[in-house]
Formats: sequence, C-alpha cells, structure tokens
Amino acid sequence: MEVKFIPSICSYCGTGCGVLFEVIDGKINSTLPMKTHPVNAGKLCIKGWNLHEHVNSFMRLKQPLVKTFGRFIKTDWDEAIRLTADRFREIIEKYGPDAVGILVSAKITNEENYLAQKFARAVIGTNNVDHCARL
Amino acid sequence: MIAKVKRWLEEGTVDLFIGYKMVMGHPLPYCFVKDKIEAVNDLIVGTSRYALEKIATHISAARPDIKIGMLARDCNQRALSVLFIWNQLNPEQIRTVNVNCCPSNLKEHGDCSYLEPQTAGLFKQQVGVNNTDRPEDLEKYDQPERLSRWMYEFQKCIKCYGCRNICPVCFCRECSLEHPELVATGTLPPDIPIFHLVRAVHMAGRCIDCGLCEDACPVDIPLRLLYRKVNEIVVNVFDYETGSNAAQSPFSILGDQVTLEPKPLQAIEN
Amino acid sequence: MTVKRITFVQELLAFMGLEGRLHLEWISSAEAQKFVRVITDFTEKIRMLGPNPLAAFSETRNASGLKIAAGLRKRHQNQPLRMQATHCL
Repeated sequence: MEVKFIPSICSYCGTGCGVLFEVIDGKINSTLPMKTHPVNAGKLCIKGWNLHEHVNSFMRLKQPLVKTFGRFIKTDWDEAIRLTADRFREIIEKYGPDAVGILVSAKITNEENYLAQKFARAVIGTNNVDHCARL
Repeated sequence: MIAKVKRWLEEGTVDLFIGYKMVMGHPLPYCFVKDKIEAVNDLIVGTSRYALEKIATHISAARPDIKIGMLARDCNQRALSVLFIWNQLNPEQIRTVNVNCCPSNLKEHGDCSYLEPQTAGLFKQQVGVNNTDRPEDLEKYDQPERLSRWMYEFQKCIKCYGCRNICPVCFCRECSLEHPELVATGTLPPDIPIFHLVRAVHMAGRCIDCGLCEDACPVDIPLRLLYRKVNEIVVNVFDYETGSNAAQSPFSILGDQVTLEPKPLQAIEN
Repeated sequence: MTVKRITFVQELLAFMGLEGRLHLEWISSAEAQKFVRVITDFTEKIRMLGPNPLAAFSETRNASGLKIAAGLRKRHQNQPLRMQATHCL
C-alpha cells in the first residue's frame, strides 16, 4: 500500500495552476489544489479538478491510428510519420504551400511552439500559423 | 510528536501516518511508513490545511483493513466524528495526533479564514456579502437587498465543483449536483440560487465549518457564512450539533414518537 | 418532523432574502372549504409580495456582464468598472 502526494502543474491552459496528485498504489486517485502555490493559492477550475480522469481514461490514445477504408487501424510511429510526410508532400505539390496551416497551443511548451512555427515557415513555406487562444 | 509517531509506526499501531512535510518549499501532505521511518524527522504541522480525512476515506476504500494515523486539527477531528457517524470510516482503524488551533489566534494555526480574516474589497462591500461576517450581521439588510447581494455572489459561480470536491464530509458517489436532469449542463452560472441552496441543504447535519470550501472557491463566494447559518438553523430547530459527538446519530432527531416496528393488529372490541 | 424541515427551509430562504414564500398546512381530503380558503389567501399574499425577484435578475446586466439589482445599480453608475476578459488559453 503506497500512498504518495506528487506536486505538479495543471496541463490544460496557459495559467499553470499547481495541483497535487494523490497516488495510491501507483494510480492517480484524485487531484487536489496546492494551497501554497503562488499562481492559484489553493483554487482550481473544473478542468484542473478532473486531471486524474484524463490520465486514467479508457479513451486515451496509446498508439498512432491510421484511417484506412473508414476504420482506424493501429500502427507504429515510423509508419504514421512516414504516411503524414507523404501526404503533406502530395498536398503541397498539388495545391501549393499555403494550403497547409499550423495551429499551436498553450498546452505545449514555448520551445515546441517555436519549433512548430519554424517548421511551418522554413520547411513547408507558409505563413499560416495561428494559436488556439485566438479561436 | 515525532517520537510518538515513530513509536506508533514501529509498534504497528498504525500502518501509515498522514502528516505534512516540506516538499520543494511547500508544506504538502505526506504519508509516513515504517520502512522509511527516518522521514518522520521531517514531520511538521504546517500552515496549510488539506482534507486529510478525505484522503483517509480513499485509502480505506482501497484497503479496508489498513490502520491509518493522521495529524488532526480541530476541524479534522470534527470531520472524523461526522465520517464515523456516517460509516465512511471505521473508528478502530484511525488514530489521531491532535493539534488544537480553533478558536485561538494566539497559537500557531493553519490558514483558516476564521482566524485570519481577509477584508472584502470596496465593490464587494457595496453589492456583495462580506465573507467574514457572522450570520447575525446580515440582519441589517432588508429582504430585497439581501437577495440581490447573495445573487451577486452566486452568479460569479463557475461551477468548478471545488467546494464539493474538497469537502471532507462530502462522500456521495452520485452527487445530485451532477445529475443531468436536476442541474442544467452547459450554462454558466448554474441555476442560482438553487445550486448553492441545494448544496447548503445537503450539508445540513454534515458541515463542520472547516472552511476548505471557501478556500477552494475561485470566486470567493461566502460559503462558510452560508453553511454556518445552516448549522445554526439545525441547532435551533433540530437540536443537533454536527461534529460534536461521534456517537450521536442523526436518526436521533426523529424522536420517540417514531417506531419502525410493525404494530400488532388490534381486534375491534368496542 | 415535517414541521421542523419546513421551518428549516423557511429560515434558510429568509436568510437568502426570499422570506414568506413557503407555507405549510395540514388539510384532509374532506376539508375542501379549508383548502380553497388557504390557497386563495396564500395566492393573495404572494401577489402582494410582488413579481418573482429572480426573474428580475435575468433582465438587468451592466457593462461587464455582472448582474446587479436595479436598486444597487444606480449607486454604481458613476463608477467605471474595469475588467479584463481573458480568453481561454
């Protein structure tokens, strides 16, 4: 019987409230706010209160899935990346680079956001970069 | 206190002890076990309050035969007695190290809004309800003004369910506040004042005035004041003090006139 | 027992500002006259209390979207309310 309390940061929006995970026998049982965290001071929104459901959900994707003939088939990462790259190349050759748009998000780090826009501008060759907060 | 906890763990009086420890500069709840008994040297009382008894209910639900020790402030002790009454915890499995801070401002106490009241801002004083008032203080407003002040407070609600999630005595598996046919989904604020009044009525007889709900409310609705009033009404009308006595059952308020035994049929003899 | 529960709800509503809208009466199905009289009296009492104050809350909104009752709103028309809307992040 192992009970641990792991402090962490909520992964949803860009605010970054401090949460405390109650981990019983290696499984996250519930989420509590961290009372002394400077950002949220012990308060959470409904998304933060339900972080543990997100982690333990049966609907969580664990493998890349490829849609073939209308059904999702499990595959591995190499196959998925190769397929995506091939399709991007086809679309860019046929319709031009501005047919592709990139949406970045507050859930990923600043460095990953920079990488995404660099990918859009340098590799694909388009300026169509936008952010989920503008939606 | 540290010596006592070490002795309990070594002798097997408790299998694990829930207290607080400084982790990365924050006092967080921590579970001390016999295998790592040197960690007990870092046990502190801490200034933040968490609902340790709720964690104890989760652990008991996972393993009912485990013996749990915990650091209990007055509010924790009252919550424990309510949980014992409602059969959520077995009193024989729980041992407590008591730390008393209510109602003192002198002793070292937790971050309790009763002992360290915050003054309300100017706008809130004019249109809302001050969190640190006592229920009698609201008598100075007449009925329409009282309603509009409370409605101002309630319509800030973002339906985060923080008050319900953190409450140590809230244990319903299917909360009626989440029932899709009783509370409309997808609208903010929820049906006020019904949402909060429903919660207040469900807390009658269970709320022990720990104040964690108000600490967890992101918009500072004066929940503690509301539930304190509910407790006053329960004491006046039903003669029942929540959390004071672990042996007192809420069924005692039915009185002597109600019996559950079937009465024998009496032949008509007139 | 019922009396206690109704008293409890009445006191809670009074605390909230909705006093006098709940009434308890024991009437047998044979006492039709009494039933009519109680209902008529109570309807009159409610009518005199005025329209449902909760309906008024869906009408009045100020610039920031917060609802304040008409009486209190007048006191604040001179004070600008500065609020920043933060978008979902």
